[in-house]
Amino acid sequence: MRGRRISPFWALCAVAGVILITFVALPAASMIVGAGAGLLGEALRQDDVRRSLVLTVTAALITTVIGFIVGVPVAYLLARRDFPGKRTIEGIIDLPIVFPHTAAGIALLTVYGRQGVVGRLLAPLGITFTETVAGIVLAMLFVSLPFLVDGARESFALVDERYEHVARTLGSSRFGAFARVTFPQAWRGVLAGAVLMWGRGISEFGAVVILAYNPKVISVLTFERFEGFGLHVAQPPAVLIVIVAFVVFLLVRTFLVPRRRSRTGVK
Amino acid sequence: MIALHGLSAAAGGFTAGPVDLEVGDGRYVVLLGPSGAGKSLVLEAVAGVRAAAGGAVTVEDADVTALPAERRRVGLVFQDGLLFPHLTVAANIAYGMRAARRDGAREAPAGRAARDAEVASLAEAVDAAALLSRRPATLSGGERQRVALARALAARPRALLLDEPLSAVDPEAREALQDVLRRVCRERRLPVLHVTHDRDEAFALADECAVMIAGRLHQTGRPLDVLRRPADAAVARFLGARNVLPARRDPRDPRVALLEAGGSLRVTDPLPSETAVVVVRPEDLRLGAASSPGTLAATVTRLTLQGGHVLVGLEAPGPLEALVPAGDLDAAGLGVGRPVTVTVRPADVHVLPGGLTGAASGALRAL
Repeated sequence: MRGRRISPFWALCAVAGVILITFVALPAASMIVGAGAGLLGEALRQDDVRRSLVLTVTAALITTVIGFIVGVPVAYLLARRDFPGKRTIEGIIDLPIVFPHTAAGIALLTVYGRQGVVGRLLAPLGITFTETVAGIVLAMLFVSLPFLVDGARESFALVDERYEHVARTLGSSRFGAFARVTFPQAWRGVLAGAVLMWGRGISEFGAVVILAYNPKVISVLTFERFEGFGLHVAQPPAVLIVIVAFVVFLLVRTFLVPRRRSRTGVK
Repeated sequence: MIALHGLSAAAGGFTAGPVDLEVGDGRYVVLLGPSGAGKSLVLEAVAGVRAAAGGAVTVEDADVTALPAERRRVGLVFQDGLLFPHLTVAANIAYGMRAARRDGAREAPAGRAARDAEVASLAEAVDAAALLSRRPATLSGGERQRVALARALAARPRALLLDEPLSAVDPEAREALQDVLRRVCRERRLPVLHVTHDRDEAFALADECAVMIAGRLHQTGRPLDVLRRPADAAVARFLGARNVLPARRDPRDPRVALLEAGGSLRVTDPLPSETAVVVVRPEDLRLGAASSPGTLAATVTRLTLQGGHVLVGLEAPGPLEALVPAGDLDAAGLGVGRPVTVTVRPADVHVLPGGLTGAASGALRAL
C-alpha cells in the first residue's frame, strides 16, 4: 500500500518547525546535561541557592496574585467596554513588553526608590522597595503584568456577552453574572495568562537587579556566580529554575489549558 | 401585562423606535421585520440589558425603565439558546430559581428538593425530561431552545422575550418547538414578545403582529389583517406581496386603478386619492389562457420553484409575479415566453392612498 503523499508546503512548514524547536531546546538541553545530576544535587544542598530558589518562586507567586487582583478587572473592562482612550490604556498596559528591562528598573527606581515620588511618601511608613522583597515583587509585576491582562482580556472577549444578559434576566447582578457565568467559561485563559505572568516573573533579571540586587533572586545569583566563578558554578542554579519553570508549565498546559483545535479540524 | 410606551433604543448611531406596544397576559405578540430593523435593540431595552434611549417600559403597570435587568423579572431567550456551557441542563434550568425567590416570587421553590422537583417539572413541560444530566454541547438546536425556555420560566418571569428563538432550529424540530412555545406560554398566561424576521414563524405563533422596518414600527394588528391589508408599501413588500404597483384613479370610474406601467385593475371601493399604490399578493393572481374583459395580457418571463409552488415572473406590460401550485404548471400551459392572461378579483386588490412617497421609498430600500 502506498503511503499518503506529503505536500511540499506542509513539509516546508515542518522543516521550519524542526529548526525552531532545535533553536529553543538545544541550549536548554545542553545546559541541563552540562550541569549534570551530581552538580544539581550539590547546588540544592547550598543554602544560598535554596534560599534564592524559594525567594524567586514565592515572589513570582505573590506578583501573580497581585496581578490577578488588579489585572482581571481591568482585562474584563477592556474586553467588554469601549470608551475614549481605550487604545491608549491598552498601549500603556503593554508598554513593559517593549521596555528594555534594565530601563524598566531605572524607571521604577525614579518613582519607588528612596528619592522617588512614591518611595519618599512610603518610606516613613517603613515600606521601601530598594533591596527588599517588595522591590523584587514590584519589578516582577511591572514587567509581567501585560501577560496576564492580555491573556485574560482575550479570554473574556471570547465569551459571548449575551450569556451575561441572560444571567442578568435570571436574577444575577453584574458581578454575579461575571462570577457564575463569564469567569467559569474564561478561567482557563486567565490561568494561562497567570502562568505566563508567573513564568515571566521568575525569569526577570534586568529590572530586579536595578531595584533589588539583594535579596538575590535566582537570576541575580546566577549572574553573580557567572561573574565571580565562571560558567560551571553558574550553571546549577540556572538549571534548577529552568526545571521548576518547565515542570509547572508542562503541568498547567497538560491539565488545565484547553488544547486548541485547528479551525478545519485537521489534526 | 408588559407595555412599551414610545420606547426607543440606540446603538452605533442607529435608533430603533419609538415603539408603542402592549402585550397582555397570555398574549403572544411578534415583532416582525427584516434583519437590521432594530427589533433586537428594542427587545434588549425591554429586558434591561440595554439602556433605553427614550420612552418607558411597564410590567404589570409598574415602570421598570430605570430598573436593572436583574430586578425586572423579564425572561429572555436568544436565538442560539445560550445555555451556560459549564453547567448541566438541570443546573441551567435551576440557575434563576434562587434569585426568583429572593426577588419576591414567593411561589418559587425553596430548598434543594423543591428546586429539583421544579426543574424536573419544567423539563417535563418543555419535553426535555430526558436531557437533565446532559451538557449543552451535546444537545441539538431544538433541545437547546427547549431547555433555554425552561430556564427562563424557572426564574418566574412576569413576561417572556424571545429573540429569534427558532432561527437556529432545523425545520423538523421547528414545528414541535412552536407548539411547545404556544402551549407553555398560554398555560402560564405569560405575555410574550417574540422577535423574528421570519414571516411564516410570525403568522404561525402570533395573536398580534407588529411590523418594524428600518427602526420604525409601521403596523400593528392581527396577523391576517397585516397580511391582507398592509399599512404601506414597505410592509406589503416585506410580507411578500410582490406586486406593489403605483396607479392612478380612472377619471371615468373611481373603482378602476390605472396602473402606471399599463393596464388596469378593478377594485371594490373607489380609490381614495388621485394617485395610489395597489397591492396584490402573488397567490391572488389567477393565470389562464383565455382573454376576457377585466384581464391583463401578459408574457411569462421566468419560473422559479419555491417549495410546492412556482413563482411565475410576468410582463404585463409592467412586471408582475404570481404564485401557482407546482402541480398546476403543466395544466395551465405555463412556460417561459408563453402568453397568458392574468385575472385579479377586486376583493384581492388592496389600495394604499397616495403614491410611493419619499418615506415609503426609503423603507422599501431598507428591505
